[in-house]
Amino acid sequence: MGGRKKTLVGMAALMLLTAPLVAQSWAGDGPGSVELGSLANHYSAVTFDHAMHTGVATSCAECHHHTTGASPTDPTCARCHEAGGKSRSVACRDCHSDKRFSAEDLAKIEETPKMYHKGKLGLKGAYHQKCLGCHTTMGGPTGCQDCHTRNDKGDAFFNSGKYAPAPTAKAGH
Amino acid sequence: MNSLKSQGFAPVVSDRKKDGSEWTVKEKIMLGLSPKEYMAVQLRNPFNWVLWAIYAIGLPILVGRFIFGLGWVTHSSYDYPWGLFLGWGLFVMVPLSASGFMMGTTVELFGRKDFKSIERLGLLNGLLGYLFAVVFLQVDLGQPWRLIYPMFVSLGPAAVLFLVAWHVATYLSCQVAELVPAFSEWMGFPKAKKFIKSIVLGLTIAGIILSTLHQGALGALFTYAPGKVHPLWFSSPFQWFHFFVSAVFAGLSMLIVVSTLTKWFMRWRCDENYLNNLSKLTLGLAKGASLALITYLVIKIIGIAHDNDWQYLATGWGGWFMFEMVVGVILPLIVFTMAVRNSNASLARFGAFLAVFGLALNRLNTALITFNWQLYQEIPHWREVVIVITVYATYIVVYRAVLARMPILYTWKETK
Amino acid sequence: MKMLNRRSFLKGGLAGGAAIAAVGTSKQAGAAGQSFGGYPDSMGVLVDLTKCVGCRTCEAACNKEQGLESPDKPFDDLSVFEEKREGGLPRRTTEKAYTVVQKYEVEGREHPLFRKVQCNHCNEPACLTSCFVNAYKKTPEGAVMYDPTVCVGCRTCMIACPFYIPAYSYSSAINPVVKKCIMCYDTRLKFGRPPACVEACPQEVMTFGKRKDLLKLAHQRIGQNPEAYVDHVYGETEVGGTAWMYLSDVPFDKIGYDTHLGDQPIISYVKEFLAIVPMVLTIWPALFTGFYLLSNRKDALKNEDNKS
Repeated sequence: MGGRKKTLVGMAALMLLTAPLVAQSWAGDGPGSVELGSLANHYSAVTFDHAMHTGVATSCAECHHHTTGASPTDPTCARCHEAGGKSRSVACRDCHSDKRFSAEDLAKIEETPKMYHKGKLGLKGAYHQKCLGCHTTMGGPTGCQDCHTRNDKGDAFFNSGKYAPAPTAKAGH
Repeated sequence: MNSLKSQGFAPVVSDRKKDGSEWTVKEKIMLGLSPKEYMAVQLRNPFNWVLWAIYAIGLPILVGRFIFGLGWVTHSSYDYPWGLFLGWGLFVMVPLSASGFMMGTTVELFGRKDFKSIERLGLLNGLLGYLFAVVFLQVDLGQPWRLIYPMFVSLGPAAVLFLVAWHVATYLSCQVAELVPAFSEWMGFPKAKKFIKSIVLGLTIAGIILSTLHQGALGALFTYAPGKVHPLWFSSPFQWFHFFVSAVFAGLSMLIVVSTLTKWFMRWRCDENYLNNLSKLTLGLAKGASLALITYLVIKIIGIAHDNDWQYLATGWGGWFMFEMVVGVILPLIVFTMAVRNSNASLARFGAFLAVFGLALNRLNTALITFNWQLYQEIPHWREVVIVITVYATYIVVYRAVLARMPILYTWKETK
Repeated sequence: MKMLNRRSFLKGGLAGGAAIAAVGTSKQAGAAGQSFGGYPDSMGVLVDLTKCVGCRTCEAACNKEQGLESPDKPFDDLSVFEEKREGGLPRRTTEKAYTVVQKYEVEGREHPLFRKVQCNHCNEPACLTSCFVNAYKKTPEGAVMYDPTVCVGCRTCMIACPFYIPAYSYSSAINPVVKKCIMCYDTRLKFGRPPACVEACPQEVMTFGKRKDLLKLAHQRIGQNPEAYVDHVYGETEVGGTAWMYLSDVPFDKIGYDTHLGDQPIISYVKEFLAIVPMVLTIWPALFTGFYLLSNRKDALKNEDNKS
């Protein structure tokens, strides 16, 4: 993990912070679409059709927990957040860290012994668990490249595409 | 050579020829034959043809192992990291070489001078067995040139293999020292023999300690894999003891086997004293072996009872275990007992073959056959088998060469 | 630190010692020492198998991070899940892959279960305790490290590992070495960063943190969602505890985990032998010298009889 990779991660984070601001087009209760670029290292950004998903979801809480003010669907969450408890921000990245397991984030957890949501998912995990979880039950697309197209660096990372190993009939004994 | 002797050939038995002149080393190496005669004898022996055939196939493969790596001669198995090289070369060879410390103890410690005529054969069997176990180890080690690392470079003293390494190394030097008298007689260095005589008690006791521990340690190595060896062949509190006690009967039985082979194939080299005493000594060894066998049988049963492994006896593995116990332990025990009762040395020899087979089967079962019993069975690569045969053939060649020359099977006649 | 101190102490003691004496002391120390419970603040990884979707991104990340040979098939090729090694077993870690994902079709489960396999980084590793050149080291951060420069290649560590993890580069004739996951110690863990596979996982199947915190988290997850998990954290106690631990919604024995390993570290099975070593070393010389004197006494008496 050299400095090059770090720079890229940094760039990805920057994209993530700025992209939604420019790409959001508001329609009704929320943005019409959101550009998700947290995996820009290996994939092109995903344009998330927020408007379409608000139509499918029964409640904002399905994705946004309690932050939009709606009652959470999970009774465990409802124990504390029954009243909704609208948050200052409803953006995923404002609660789900894009630096999960970084030294700073781990230290923050360590320094806040009373923190309840210690195991809160990072941004990438939150996206994927939420998206894939729902897509699996609702029959949405679940393949990696169904949502984001892999770029050249991604191909190299997965030894795929033009980086695929030559199919040699390996005679192992 | 046996036929040569019947024609009147007299092998070297002392420093001097019949005419009183001294044998040169070269002549001694040639067994007192002229180079021409020596070559003729070698070519006439059908066993040598077998050996040459083995070397013709085996040597290139052995060389290939060091050029192309272990992956070329084995299945490169991650699940079976130990194959035949250690399964046979270490775990079978070492207990079959326990005769060295057994004979040292019998003669030097317990004062049974009547076993003197077979003591040197026992010591040699021990020395060569260990030496070739190390050779096998060198074939098996990924980086054999680092053999001395556990001694001097990077020490892991809390590991069982560390103990095995140190003990085998020390014990090897111990055994070399114990055989110095035979060598010094043959070479004509009487001083060396005198020195060894003065420390023989220390050497013998060191031999017992080292043998007890490393024979046991070979068993204890498997306690690192408690779930991998089948429970019938594994018992963590008893494993070292099972290995040690079985090494006792195995060493004695191997000595009977080897002495039988010398009686058959190297009679020309044996002197009257050796041949006349052999039947009686064979029975003595058989008696010792049967005591070890009954002990082994009892502790094997205790081991099963202690770990409550009875339910496994009704399985296929249980059948295989019973086969090993009946053919390799109970049968030789009965045969030995009958042999001793009827003073029948031939019967004892048959029992010894069985016991050696039983020991080999036990070690192969523990190290290879029942290892990973819950996964799958691996059949060794054919090149691995060829290498084992080649190295073992070399063991036989060296063994035979030493027996033909040094005073092991005969008593050196001092002329000075 | 306890283990390291014991080991370095032994090394010092060995420096000038004779073989037998040295082995004796070391064995005594080895036998007397209690189990090593693990470093208090060591890191670990909690793997929630219920979350894994089998995308193999972790395998790709490991391959790049550790600079391993290119794979035989691309990392997005999911046909590898159907590959079987000998005995019809799923693929395992190799010299080219320090981590592999296995797929298990479980009866009654809607989707297959994916299981990630890599070194579990035991608290008291069998590989470490079995190594006679001390090539293994458990770092305070929790990683089990391997030093290829001293390894002789006896492969006892592979025999000892209860999880069948270490692989060996048999193909090399000049420098074959053990190949296994080192928890990205030198490039990441040392600097407080998670292993590459953890960071690469899109699903956050793996949680990186202090082992003791992860245990709390694991039990909390089970407690909050008891119908989603079996009530066991694999690795909490197995062979003395491991740095990598697992949550599953399927009983562990159904998805290839050995549930009969017991709670004792592997070295505890060896201790019965280690305990007899000092006894043999001290009792045998006296015992057998005694035997010698006894048997010689007979001879001496006989000689006297003959004289009189």
